[in-house]
Amino acid sequence: MRIKFTWDKGVVLLLIVSTIVGSFITPYFATSSNISFVIQDVGEIMIIALPMTYLIIAGEIDLSVASIVGLTSASIGFAYVRGVPFGLSILIGLVVGTLCGLINGILVTKFGLQSLAVTIGTLALFRGLCYVLLGNEPVDFLTAPITHIGYDNIPNTFLPYSTILLVILGAAAWITLHYTRFGRWTFSLGINPGAAEFSGIPVQRMKLLLFTLTGLMSGVAGVVYSFRFASASPSGASGYELAVIAAVLFGGVAIAGGVGTMWGVLAAVMVLGVIRSVLQLSNVSSNALLIVSGSLLLISVVLPRAIEVSRSRRKTSTP
Amino acid sequence: MSKFLSKFFAIREIPVAIALVIVLGVTAFANPAIVSRSGALDIFLGVSVVAFLAVGQTLVIAMKHVDLSVGSTIGFSAWLIGKSTADGHSLIYTMMMVLFLGLVVGALNGYLVAYLELPSLVVTLATMYIVRGVFSQISSGRTIIASEVPKPISFIGLNSFYVVPYMFIVVVVLVFAVGNIMHRLRPARDLYAIGSNLPAANLAGIPVAKRVFSAFLANGLLASFGGIILLSRFNAADTNSGTGLELNVIAACVVGGVAIAGGVGTVYGALIGAVLLQSITMALGALGVGQFWQLAVNGLLLILAISLDRYLTLRVKPSTIMRVKN
Repeated sequence: MRIKFTWDKGVVLLLIVSTIVGSFITPYFATSSNISFVIQDVGEIMIIALPMTYLIIAGEIDLSVASIVGLTSASIGFAYVRGVPFGLSILIGLVVGTLCGLINGILVTKFGLQSLAVTIGTLALFRGLCYVLLGNEPVDFLTAPITHIGYDNIPNTFLPYSTILLVILGAAAWITLHYTRFGRWTFSLGINPGAAEFSGIPVQRMKLLLFTLTGLMSGVAGVVYSFRFASASPSGASGYELAVIAAVLFGGVAIAGGVGTMWGVLAAVMVLGVIRSVLQLSNVSSNALLIVSGSLLLISVVLPRAIEVSRSRRKTSTP
Repeated sequence: MSKFLSKFFAIREIPVAIALVIVLGVTAFANPAIVSRSGALDIFLGVSVVAFLAVGQTLVIAMKHVDLSVGSTIGFSAWLIGKSTADGHSLIYTMMMVLFLGLVVGALNGYLVAYLELPSLVVTLATMYIVRGVFSQISSGRTIIASEVPKPISFIGLNSFYVVPYMFIVVVVLVFAVGNIMHRLRPARDLYAIGSNLPAANLAGIPVAKRVFSAFLANGLLASFGGIILLSRFNAADTNSGTGLELNVIAACVVGGVAIAGGVGTVYGALIGAVLLQSITMALGALGVGQFWQLAVNGLLLILAISLDRYLTLRVKPSTIMRVKN
């Protein structure tokens, strides 16, 4: 039996290789405290990458996710300093995140606008609202209860509490994408929206739902972010949108839609986290990380394309 | 007369221009103090960098592509100009280096997008990271200070012709030059054909790959020469110069009627879009709206602009479709 090489399998391989190489390069890598750190470090990116995978597979994109993370965090801070109980503040944050996603979804589906352009607009809008809510002053939650679960480990293990969340959400997103009707519909939206419409798939409602879910998950990432830093700042999580999209594309999801696997994306997020950690531990400057993630992203599109081109050449030369 | 009016309003740039006039009018009425030399200078200086980059970005967006790497390129170039001058190289040698930078980035983007047919969003996102990474590595925290900026470059930023800074005149000259080229020259017209209907452009015998490559190359070169404007604007440069500019530039293009869907828009529109966004920022300040609202309002404006554009095209489109069918 021949296993067909696809990029996402390559990413999983790369994750294994980089972990092994990493533990050889620096003795600090494979320590329990560092593994805990790596998992915390990729947390928000991974949580947002899950719905982003759905969106890109469905042929849409959302650039406003980092601003939603910021706005969720800012709303929590805004409510908390005005005496709202911490638990309720978090709920408010999640509602705000979901609403942001709903706004994106309505603009794309009801108004028929391009998601790339719309979400550049809402990127500015939601980030602007962070400044409206907080001004330039960050809020800290140091006195709030339970924020310690943002940076503490589960007792008697080296895994941070966020691991539980990541595993549950990751598994749910994986199963839903590959084993349910919802997942198959998502793929068909990206492969051929016209055909999807004609085969009775509620295209607009699906897209609205996907954008809203993206908002909700960005909200969850915003809560995790607030817990981890025990603070809310207006510029929190700036620039995450491109990091998330880079990770999703690096995981083998095609920007044109219709192609991708959840495990490819999960592995890609981990690979980038592992490489970042190894580079930091071996005292390579953070600039190298920019170059490495850019190059990996480039390779992830060039390599499959090169293979495809060489295959089709071989086919045409031997009639 | 009504025929003339409907033709007039069918020009994509007109609604944006009207919005600009209204914004400036209301602001001037509400706060006459803003109609001053410094008020005008503020707008022109504030808009120059984005407007300069929007020219090249228009070429790319017209083809239904996008180039996210410009922010990194312009920042790198601005720093490079300062560093090379500080090292005692001549301005000509410096400009050769800038030219080389633009060529490399533009050709890399162009080759990958045009000949390997890779999605431009992914390619330029990657080159954005790579160029920024290489730039940070080379600059390693070295900041270019005002005294290291070449005299001619600081001159165009600090001096003005009445209320128009020389820097902005450079931008306007570029806009009119490229605007004319895009209006008249066949290869430039091809960009619109590629953006509005790629298979048709192929069938019509347009050398698509060559055109796409050239447009990305041109955008890379423009972004690197934009380093002059960025450097003269701030009279300084460091590792973070130009970060995040790419989204502002795309926003200016989109507000100015250069649709992300490709095939339409002019550099004049992009310029007006950039000026409009900048004026709104200034107007909010002048009207006493807190500075914290500015970003939110800019975002709202961008969404309004694309919604309005969508509404107008929906209203105009049916008739044109009918005509084609007959």
